[in-house]
Amino acid sequence: MQPKVCLVLFSFGNFNRAWTQILRNLGIDYTLCRATGFSISASIQTPQGVFTAGSPDLRNYFRQFDAVILCDNTGDLAATLLINYSVFWMSWNAPEDPAFLFFNPHFSAAITDSGYNSNFPSDFPIVRPSPSDIAGTLYAADGGSATSVDPLAQTDARARGMCILFLAENIRAHVQTICNAHTNRIPYYWRLDTDKHSTLVSTTYTHRVARNGRAGEILAVPAPPISSEDTETYPSDCVVAYRYRNIFWLPHAMARTQRAVNLWDADVSPFVFWLLYGLQLAGVRPRYRLPVQIETSRPLEALEASFNPPYSLREQCDFLLASWDWMREFARRKGTAIVSGVVLGGRDRSAISTRHWGILYNTNYPAEAREAAMRVHQILVAGHREGTTPCGPHDYTIGGGGGLWGSAVNTGYRRHAGRQRGTPNDVPIARGRCCVAPHVLPTGVAGADAQTVQVGDTEMVEWDFTGRTSGTGTTFDLPMDNIHAARMIIEGHIDEMLALGFPDGYCAGHRYTNTAANNSGGECYWQALKEFGFRGVRSSSNCTGINIKRVPPNRIWQGFHLVGDEAVDNCSSGAVFSRGLYLPSAPAGGDAVKHYVLDHGSDISANWATGQVAAWRAYRRLLCQTTSIWLHGTVVELSSAYFHPNQSLMCVSLADPVAPFEGWSRLGPYSTPHYNHAVELLENMDAVVRLLPEYLYWGTITDVMDHRERVMGG
Amino acid sequence: MPLTPTLIGHYSQGGAQAVSRQNRLPVDATAPDTLLVATTFVTDTANRDLQGSTATELPTLDGCMQYRKLVWFYFRNRSDSTSYRVLARATDHNGAPLGAGWQELATGTLPGASDPNASYWGRIEIPSTGDGYYDQYRIEVQRTAGSNYALTSKIVGVR
Repeated sequence: MQPKVCLVLFSFGNFNRAWTQILRNLGIDYTLCRATGFSISASIQTPQGVFTAGSPDLRNYFRQFDAVILCDNTGDLAATLLINYSVFWMSWNAPEDPAFLFFNPHFSAAITDSGYNSNFPSDFPIVRPSPSDIAGTLYAADGGSATSVDPLAQTDARARGMCILFLAENIRAHVQTICNAHTNRIPYYWRLDTDKHSTLVSTTYTHRVARNGRAGEILAVPAPPISSEDTETYPSDCVVAYRYRNIFWLPHAMARTQRAVNLWDADVSPFVFWLLYGLQLAGVRPRYRLPVQIETSRPLEALEASFNPPYSLREQCDFLLASWDWMREFARRKGTAIVSGVVLGGRDRSAISTRHWGILYNTNYPAEAREAAMRVHQILVAGHREGTTPCGPHDYTIGGGGGLWGSAVNTGYRRHAGRQRGTPNDVPIARGRCCVAPHVLPTGVAGADAQTVQVGDTEMVEWDFTGRTSGTGTTFDLPMDNIHAARMIIEGHIDEMLALGFPDGYCAGHRYTNTAANNSGGECYWQALKEFGFRGVRSSSNCTGINIKRVPPNRIWQGFHLVGDEAVDNCSSGAVFSRGLYLPSAPAGGDAVKHYVLDHGSDISANWATGQVAAWRAYRRLLCQTTSIWLHGTVVELSSAYFHPNQSLMCVSLADPVAPFEGWSRLGPYSTPHYNHAVELLENMDAVVRLLPEYLYWGTITDVMDHRERVMGG
Repeated sequence: MPLTPTLIGHYSQGGAQAVSRQNRLPVDATAPDTLLVATTFVTDTANRDLQGSTATELPTLDGCMQYRKLVWFYFRNRSDSTSYRVLARATDHNGAPLGAGWQELATGTLPGASDPNASYWGRIEIPSTGDGYYDQYRIEVQRTAGSNYALTSKIVGVR
């Protein structure tokens, strides 16, 4: 039995392609059906004919599916029409009928359509929202503040967050949640009619999706606070997800917008959790589960005093040590591998303390800092060997700091020693003056120094390298736009990885690395990486600093994976490091609230000094935000989420760096709440994985690349 | 030519053909490929391409050497005057452009500006005459009057 769902929508003009991208990634077959209008008289256009919305023919048609999904939603409770035609389906509750998934459904009391109102089930237990009585029909959510933009829109910032308690699973997880929204841009949760709910709970009901054998079930509610500091509470009749017979009433899952996933107008889908949860509740068993994994950039580095960090070099290594110890143990427990890009170039080109090599071996730094750094390094090496913390090259010292092919020429490049392309060997560093395809190369024309070079499916014979070789020295200007340079750079990377004590230079069996600046170079680098044994690398869409490549997140080049990037730090790169959840004096992007625009109506900044709840609000929103980005990368793009440990963890308490967030009861630097981004983010994502056992599992980057080959074109 | 067990081959021209780099598996050469589907918010910003980038060295499409021609279909929901520019260039086998900058293939007013009904379907062949076979293309649009609007594009590559 193949999983199959039906998507019902009105217009492809605002149909989000992420709906179908996700289903394809999961191996769930789907059929798109279009409603001819919004009223109850609308017809549904299906591949097997056009049926009126309330007809037995349509009901029979729907019975071939595991679930029917309503795709349309609105942020205007005063709208009188949207999915009125679906009211008939709320009464199609026989065991043969599919599950119906309503995400952010429009069932407002403003709907004047008498046919809708008379057919709306009288025992439906969620109070219909009324735009003229919002306070009496809904609960303002997430502090009740207005969002500066449409809260339902697809965006990579401005999370409206909540910790949700999933009752049957007894799991708490932070996920972006909006049940309904209005033109005032305030998110809302639903109000339950407890009398009707009691009746439903005591009514026996048989359907494969009725886990408790009852006609009604509260699925999820706002989680009660775990601290007295957190005063954001909700009444007992507040719900965010409910099952009415075989009808699932669920929060917003997808913005109505025309987005082409895997192309250039793609954006983060922040509410995607609810689609996965709805599908699982509906019993849609996907062909494939999706692997969850995370990466880090620069697992060991420390910021010098010139950056004005709150901690010394030694103290930074101390909190990294505790955090990496925790992450390694997490990876062991979950069977995942936390891939890291080790900053290279420290041995041959720059020995500053933001380079892995420099902080280990540069004697300009205090011995106690180097000793602490070595302990972190040993955890990484041991984790690499056992498979929990595999490491690969990540080099900013080439190409003007932009990573692979980050500039046209790397002036004053210093190469490694030995091996095939190190000193003192005189080797090509640019393509030959003449390059001719072998099948059109006349006999006797090629020079004595001719060599055959293959990049992708193009094979050329190159010769005349006069003035295009390295000489025997160490330092020269390296043109970066060719395979000879790429081979030299990557050979040097692997040599430095081995010198650091790693048994290989490409994340062990994963044959992958997290590249510097998310920069995968171009064809010549991809070819060279393949030749050195790599299977894939992390790659931004704009993959070189000199802007000559574009790499969509689903790119597989000649069998080589270019895995998309989704950063989940708690500060911007420009701000250098995180000052915590919020710090009034932090620079732009220097705390989580500023970085992700989480201060809705100043409900964090204005209350920070006087209201302890503001920190909990910031905490919730940050976790919702970063979890959403991670989940989007996992489910929509099949790409990779990553963070920078040193920068993101600078706001922990040294007394117990891996302690959970406890509000103002545990302080970090700047006398603001301690917050360990690694611990909190991974634990929250684990809660999401545990909630979705049919859809997600802790895997590795190898599992991601395996799955990309399963479902993506080349 | 007889097939050997270790080679991939196919039957054509009355016999078995071994596959090599110079004698590839036959494909349907007429089937076009969809290369891009994107919604561009057309503004008065200069040098902005269909993907919204103003980095002038960044191609809109890369790896297009196999295509004789690109066909740009678009739908615009406003009639505001808009100029467009189609640029192209070749790369070497390493993927590096042969030089900086671009060869301009076409420039002009994007058809649809005079349509009083505001919405317009368009089709532009790239290049308009002859064959392309360029490696990289950059397609820029800029509103020259009126208000910003959405331009939805699809580009297919024809071998």
